[in-house]
Amino acid sequence: MSTREPNSPATPDARSGKYLTFHLGAEEYGIEILKVQEIIGLLPITMVPNTPHFIRGIINLRGKIIPVVDLRAKLGMETLAASNETCIVVVRRHTMEMGVVVDRVKEVLDIKSTEIEHAPEFGAHVDTSCLLGIGKHNGQVKLLLDIDRVLDSTGLMQAPTAGPETA
Amino acid sequence: MSKKPRPAEHTGVPGTERPRLPDYSTADLAQLASLLIQLDPSEARDAADLNALWEALLGRAEKNPDGSAAPLLLARLVMEAADRVEAVILGQTGDPSEALAAAARLVAAAADGQCTPSNIPEQFQPAPQPTAAAAAPAAASLPGPQPTAAAAAPAAASLPGPQPSAAAATAAASTVFNVTAEVELLNEFLDEARDHLAKAEQSLLTLETHPEERDAIDTVFRAFHTIKGVSGFLDLTPVTRLAHSAESLLSRARDREILCTGGYANLALRALDGLRNLCEQLQRTHAGQGSLRIPADHAELLACLAEPEAHGIGAGAAERAPLPSAAKVSLPAAAQAAHAEHAEPAAAAGPAREGGEKQADIFVRVRTDRLDGLLDAVGELVIAQSMVAQDDTLAGPQRIELQRKIAHAGKIVRELQDLATSLRMVPLRATFKKMERIARDVALKTNKLLELVTDGEDTELDRNLVDVLAEPLVHMIRNACDHGIEPPDERRRAGKPERGTIRLLATHRGGHVMVELHDDGRGLNREKIVAKAIERGLISRDEQISDSDAYALIFKPGFSTAEVVTDLSGRGVGMDVVQRGIAKLDGRIAIRSEQGKGTVFSIRLPVTLAITDGMLVRVGAERFIIPTLAITTTFRPKDTALSRVLGAGEMVLFRDRSLPIFRLHRAFAVPAAVEDPLRGLLIVIGEGSEACAMLVDELLGQQQVVVKALGGGLRDIEGVSGGAILRDGRVGLILDPSGITRMARSSPSGSTGDTFFATPERAA
Repeated sequence: MSTREPNSPATPDARSGKYLTFHLGAEEYGIEILKVQEIIGLLPITMVPNTPHFIRGIINLRGKIIPVVDLRAKLGMETLAASNETCIVVVRRHTMEMGVVVDRVKEVLDIKSTEIEHAPEFGAHVDTSCLLGIGKHNGQVKLLLDIDRVLDSTGLMQAPTAGPETA
Repeated sequence: MSKKPRPAEHTGVPGTERPRLPDYSTADLAQLASLLIQLDPSEARDAADLNALWEALLGRAEKNPDGSAAPLLLARLVMEAADRVEAVILGQTGDPSEALAAAARLVAAAADGQCTPSNIPEQFQPAPQPTAAAAAPAAASLPGPQPTAAAAAPAAASLPGPQPSAAAATAAASTVFNVTAEVELLNEFLDEARDHLAKAEQSLLTLETHPEERDAIDTVFRAFHTIKGVSGFLDLTPVTRLAHSAESLLSRARDREILCTGGYANLALRALDGLRNLCEQLQRTHAGQGSLRIPADHAELLACLAEPEAHGIGAGAAERAPLPSAAKVSLPAAAQAAHAEHAEPAAAAGPAREGGEKQADIFVRVRTDRLDGLLDAVGELVIAQSMVAQDDTLAGPQRIELQRKIAHAGKIVRELQDLATSLRMVPLRATFKKMERIARDVALKTNKLLELVTDGEDTELDRNLVDVLAEPLVHMIRNACDHGIEPPDERRRAGKPERGTIRLLATHRGGHVMVELHDDGRGLNREKIVAKAIERGLISRDEQISDSDAYALIFKPGFSTAEVVTDLSGRGVGMDVVQRGIAKLDGRIAIRSEQGKGTVFSIRLPVTLAITDGMLVRVGAERFIIPTLAITTTFRPKDTALSRVLGAGEMVLFRDRSLPIFRLHRAFAVPAAVEDPLRGLLIVIGEGSEACAMLVDELLGQQQVVVKALGGGLRDIEGVSGGAILRDGRVGLILDPSGITRMARSSPSGSTGDTFFATPERAA
């Protein structure tokens, strides 16, 4: 039984459950399925000037404009040209939706609490605070992302006060 | 048994001593309940026993000196019961026995709820004052059954008696009131209160010219009464107390004891403002928790309302003619009011029976986010529909029947879009009414005679716009009253009617709304304005400027109109605030003026901010939308017109003016855009000295777009006001003209050169 990681919002037990896993480079990551609203193919993205580099721009999600974050850029990896498998995972936080570009979506996994370990500390140069933990499933490692924390650090998620019309 | 005026000790002793609390013992309440049930409705008119019991109940206040257990809840239940019984006594209920039973149930509930101080929920653990206030209306609203008694004691019949002043005395002691109300209920109350206050204000203004208008008096009365009732329920004691006192004043008007004009009208309006102030504060308290700062003059206002005459307030010239039947009239009035209180929540949803406007329309309150959601969905439907209609498989003569059906569906979709858009539209009426009030107040303050004539109040605008428009309009009306209209004697000397006229007009014109403010005052003094501008260094001494440019100078920040237009000093209402307000709405403002004749301000506004007329332009591979209203003109420059200032700032000569060139592609780091102004197009945006020429690759055409927020935290991006979904389903950014002109001035030609987009690959 792992001890509770100090900066993780969830207890080990709360961390167990269904995860949507996807590839980002060589690694496989997981997002809690409850945070995922839908998965869409890569849509034309409109750039938005004067925004941080990891913000790809905005897309039209059935009449609603939502921002899209390049997860590779956000996590400090090199960016990659889009492929056929590149897609956008739409996650919901509060009442806001946001797209996250990933290389390839894989599957939905049920990860038990016994299969989750807390993220190891690598020292100052590797920030593991955005990980809920590390899941091991059938001998493979899945990095479980604390997507709320990732998105909160984009500065795009604000308290749900958005008055939609008078931007 | 005749009813005596209630001694002041029941509710509180004026002065330093705290008011005491009534203590409802279980025995008393149980007795009351059983009495109510046994009471024969036909004998209710002679309800001496009942009256005695109320007296006893309230009298216990004196026997409970430490004021410990007095749950507000109980006080309220008993009040409610008293209201019902009152209705029975006055023969106003269809089914007296049912009403009595209901009252009995309420009292029984109060008896059941009798609790010790320790187990009263905290929100009912009242500070001593609230209970006293709750008890005061209870005491006051108990009518003596015999009209003669009431006539003998007018103080008891019409509500302002010793009680309110006692309450006022205690209010002065504390200036902060803690709010503990459920958010939902509080918001509902505030919504309702706002409506009521607006209606009441309108009616009060009507009353000034038509003091006998019964409907108007009723409307005001009902507004105060409803606010009193609901705020009492929410424990908003300061609101309750003020509403109660205001209601008392109005009940006198209603009883034809006074005419609601002159001093009385001012007083009522003050009360109204006081209530509005409290409501606005409440709106700001978060989640219903917070404190209410009681204004310093609150107590004085309450005292004035209670006894206006004692404070030297009267109806002015209006005669005071108490009708012989005044006392008699007052009783049904009070009872009707009690009645109205129960009926009101329903009326909030369908204000068909509200005074003045007799409209049969029925309204439903809808959350704006649902409306926005609907608009989003419909906008998407329009795009989806046009995609279907333009599909290649439909081409050719074989598909004529299908084409016809799709065209039909398209028509319905567009109708739906119009309808969805119109849902957000509200008439300007409420805003105009507000202006009437402001004009009246300023005229009084500055001793001027003027009349505000409004026209086109039914012109509809998007709700958001209406709200924002109010602020600049207030400034303009104030300026027109204060600086535009001359004092009566000056007007007489100038051969004008003493009474100045300000006309506020609204019309629809070509997809826009024009709001015009005419005054027949002294007009703007061009020479003075120009002299002032030269003094301030805003223009050079030998610059030749047109009249409209000269007038537009008053919109410059720090350009006090007071010093220029009149010699009044100490006024700093900058017209720059007005222009900024209008610009925020994508509107334009223009001035015409003739010295000695008057001034006309015309504001051109889009009908809605939700939909905007835009010019679609291409820059590199990106498309942007520029609001059409902001575009002065578009042109392709000649070689000779281009120049550089100090080798850096690019300028273009256009109609004898040199404008800075703003390169959008640089500011927004758009790759592969036209660099040479001779091959691209220059779009002139902004006005006067703020104008600039923006370089784009080409124009793609004009289009109406639905304005949307960029989502998430993508707000406050300089130069961008929002996004819109274009016909191909992609998102285009809508440029913010005022932001662009700002950027152009801070870095002409957008030459920062920074690459804002570090992402190498952009899926496009």
